[in-house]
Amino acid sequence: MKKHVNLLSLVLVMIMAATMLNGCGKEATPTVNSSAAPSSIAPEEPDTIKALLPPISNQFIERLDKVQAAFHKQYPNLTLVIEAASWNDRIEKLDTQVNAGTPPDIAFLGSELIAKYVNMGVAMNITKYATADMISDYDAAPLKYMKNGDGLYGLPAYMEIHGIGGNKEYMEAAGIDWKKIQTKGWTFEEFDAAVKKGAGVKGANSTSKYGLVFATAGTTTKNFIEIFAKNAGMPSEFNSDIKYVYTSKKFLNVLTSASKLIADGANMNATAGERWNLFLTGQTMFTGKGLATFESSAKANNAKLKAKDGSAVAGSVPVDYVVMPVPTSNGASPAYYSVVDGYVTFRGKTAPTEVHMKNVVKASYFLASGENAAQTNADLFAVNITKTARDAESKYPIEREADNLASVKYLMANAAPARPEIPSDKQAKGTKIMDEVIIPKFQALLAKEISPQTMYDAVYEAAVAAFGKDGIVKD
Amino acid sequence: MKKGNGGITVRQKHSAYAKEDNIWGYLFISMAVIVFCVFTMYPIVNACIISMQKYNPIQSKWVGLDNYNGLLTDKLFFKSIRNTVVYTVLTVPVNIAISFILAILIFPFKKWMQTTFKAIYYLPAVASGVSLSVVWLWIYSSLPSGLFNQLIGIFGLESQNWLGQSKTAMFSLVLMSWLSSHGTNVIIYIAALLGIPKDHFEAAEIDSATFFQKVHYIVLPMVKPTTLFLFVTGIISSFQVFMNAYLMTAGGPDNNTTMVGLLIFNNAFKYSEFGKASAQALILAVAIAVISLLQFKFMGDEIEY
Amino acid sequence: MGLYNDYNNNIKLRCLRNGLILLPLSLFAVATLFPIYFMVISSFAAPVEAGAASHLLWPTKWTLDSYIFFFNYSKYSTRWLMNSLIASTAVTFSNVVFASMTGYAFSKIRFRGNKLLFNILLCAMMIPYQVTQVPLYILIVNTFHMQNTYAALIFPSSVSVYNIFLCKQFMSSIPNEIIESAKIEGCTQLNIFYRIIMPLSKTVMAVVAITTFMSNWNTFFWPFLVTSKMEMQTIQVGLKNFSFANSTYFAPMMAGATIAAVPMFVLFFSMQKYFLEGVTVGAVKG
Repeated sequence: MKKHVNLLSLVLVMIMAATMLNGCGKEATPTVNSSAAPSSIAPEEPDTIKALLPPISNQFIERLDKVQAAFHKQYPNLTLVIEAASWNDRIEKLDTQVNAGTPPDIAFLGSELIAKYVNMGVAMNITKYATADMISDYDAAPLKYMKNGDGLYGLPAYMEIHGIGGNKEYMEAAGIDWKKIQTKGWTFEEFDAAVKKGAGVKGANSTSKYGLVFATAGTTTKNFIEIFAKNAGMPSEFNSDIKYVYTSKKFLNVLTSASKLIADGANMNATAGERWNLFLTGQTMFTGKGLATFESSAKANNAKLKAKDGSAVAGSVPVDYVVMPVPTSNGASPAYYSVVDGYVTFRGKTAPTEVHMKNVVKASYFLASGENAAQTNADLFAVNITKTARDAESKYPIEREADNLASVKYLMANAAPARPEIPSDKQAKGTKIMDEVIIPKFQALLAKEISPQTMYDAVYEAAVAAFGKDGIVKD
Repeated sequence: MKKGNGGITVRQKHSAYAKEDNIWGYLFISMAVIVFCVFTMYPIVNACIISMQKYNPIQSKWVGLDNYNGLLTDKLFFKSIRNTVVYTVLTVPVNIAISFILAILIFPFKKWMQTTFKAIYYLPAVASGVSLSVVWLWIYSSLPSGLFNQLIGIFGLESQNWLGQSKTAMFSLVLMSWLSSHGTNVIIYIAALLGIPKDHFEAAEIDSATFFQKVHYIVLPMVKPTTLFLFVTGIISSFQVFMNAYLMTAGGPDNNTTMVGLLIFNNAFKYSEFGKASAQALILAVAIAVISLLQFKFMGDEIEY
Repeated sequence: MGLYNDYNNNIKLRCLRNGLILLPLSLFAVATLFPIYFMVISSFAAPVEAGAASHLLWPTKWTLDSYIFFFNYSKYSTRWLMNSLIASTAVTFSNVVFASMTGYAFSKIRFRGNKLLFNILLCAMMIPYQVTQVPLYILIVNTFHMQNTYAALIFPSSVSVYNIFLCKQFMSSIPNEIIESAKIEGCTQLNIFYRIIMPLSKTVMAVVAITTFMSNWNTFFWPFLVTSKMEMQTIQVGLKNFSFANSTYFAPMMAGATIAAVPMFVLFFSMQKYFLEGVTVGAVKG
């Protein structure tokens, strides 16, 4: 035993020594951010830019090395170091780094998070460092989402509009004029009527069970509120007078419409995986939320069914995915919920130099425009938002139905506008109410444990506590 | 006073031992203490300091006990504590009891069977948490195709929304805990059982003790240190756990399955109120410490021969 | 094992009793096994997105595609397994040696501050990781610049309080007479530890080895934080890369999880012999 223990300790000491030596050797190159007081750095001097990116599209991770190499080729003195992170956890990692005072220069985030970082003082305003050419390359609407107050805090990658997905066969069998609705929109009453018709529709290979399956389980609960509230006359959480709008009766209306849909046969308890599975197996006419890229997933499954190789989803049938807009209510004009994700720029405890910021902007622009954007957006079935990307589009063709493309364009043209003038502390309070009151109560509402009125009252109470009686909308 | 070897008195020998023991004691614990101080104590001290600031990575502001005061009026904080306590009370004692029973039940069998069962109970610990939660999400799915719904469908009952309803959400989480990962605890209990000397049982058999008497009078007292260990560590980890619950219910309908750990997590990362999160964490730690103290008082007397 | 009546005379009764015990054991075994069974079975399905994946108890098409997908996914896939192996093995060794030494010291050696120090260590376990994470991160990455090193993966968990506590509890039942008589014979504490304590603690050391390896192998967040380069990531971090914005490659994730589970099996079975015999403490009474 003694011999074994001695051997054990020896091996252990060797391992520890080896790792320490190893550790000393593998130190990452310290970036400019972590150095002391920045003095002048000549523009041609070598600089490193760190980016924290999730797998933006399924194929994105494979291309990382090529992207880094291409950037270095274009700017020989600059090195782009991309750190890959998993989608669910990158926010926690980013926040740890932010709180430690050493965030990456660029992080890929949803634009709704910009307010939080502006509040903390760590988001970097790039208005001064982006050239006029870069700015004019972008469409105005998505670019506005990356603004907060007067500053621009990053560059957008794509603008994805959330809609509803429809099964073409079922809609036609139920007599719904989907082509018209795709580019003209519809009201909630029309949608509800369609959902009622949607159960029991017979198709060639299947019969539908539900009119609508909307994913609200787990972390997807937010989706319903967001996309329906916007089209119910509340395109933003705050109105033009910067008052909180979810205290208006229109919000109560959204809640009752959720209850109505459930009463009319919609399944609003599914998880994201289930809502897609039910769509592919022909058990539902509508699925929500619906993204444009679902079209390619459906096509892929159809191809597998045709090939009869057994790899298609069990029990699935050929389905044609149709992009449908979210219905409007309260007679409001459409304001479709758009998600703008982009490359947000950061600073750490030590302020970065001007030259470094210019380099960071160059890197962001490289990632968010031209070929890179075109390729990523083609993976995602997202419409390109920069001129340079549109020019490069032809290299990455995607197979998309013309009707769906027309619908997506209509949706983008009517997207809810960004509101950068809303002060970030108010936005933070709004987010807190959403997370701590609206979402939990909505889960209870979906489980039929509370009524829409009870939930509305709770939201009202929380809003008054947060914004005061004058900071909310009363009608 | 007895004279030991070489004319040294016993008392002198004892104090010589004592001094030597001091040195050896410190030597033996040195590595652990160093690692502890650098990687555990230092961050904790930092966290205490942060809990009294309105923390910001660039410039923090000292606010004293404001964070703590805010918590006293926070209804959600108290709700989450209640949820966490309920979850802990329902899972820790039951899990320990199940592990103990399983460990005892494995004993009458031949070695190869023992190994098989041990391996089976150990398995869930081996599978990564993410894949396990995916499986359990399917088991608890609210659709009629979910496993539980299929099972109760056999009895003619309606499909339930296990994770989305207040009356079943907490219980679903508890049941998930009861049915998974006993492996570590079973192994620890088996190790403890192996340490019981056979002569105790032989003596009991001479007195013709029954099985249950043997368990009550011999086994349970002899494994008390292990039971105490499992209770203390079980409660510590149960109070801090939240990730699995979050993946399954996202805090449950109307915050009915929101645990304290989730609040700390949200405050630290989602709302970037790091100071507040640290204050919550310290309050939680104090609560756990008090409970652990009580456990030591009840179960902590050392077993000496 | 003297706990159970051997029923040497009545084989039928013994079989009946064993059979009755077998029933709840097996039921529990099935319930416990089911998620694992599902995980392994799903790994043999085709690599498609989760939403499109059908959750079947028996796949319609068996394929190793998902395993191939997993290894081809990143040129670092095998490297991830290696990193996990290195880190977990080092942490396990370190814990087995130092936790047992420390546990022994706290339970049997009388030195000044014994109880106080132990209580401090215990209390430190009670602080949730979320708030110590950032200061620890600042320490390791900003102050020591140890990111992307094996040291960062190993040192913080090289001796855990859980293991110290476990060893202390087990070693407390070693009779003091053995130790006293060894001291009288002139053994130093080090000798006592090597010659007496360690042989008697084989079982608990095996437990420490298995549980430490397993928890370190499964840990995700800390390696995720301190590694930014893909070649230094561990297997759990790498597996998570299969989750995309709106879909997850389910089968390859399960394939990776199955592969990741294999080393622990190997470890478990190789540690088996420490679990099958008791260590006779009664030797001292002789």
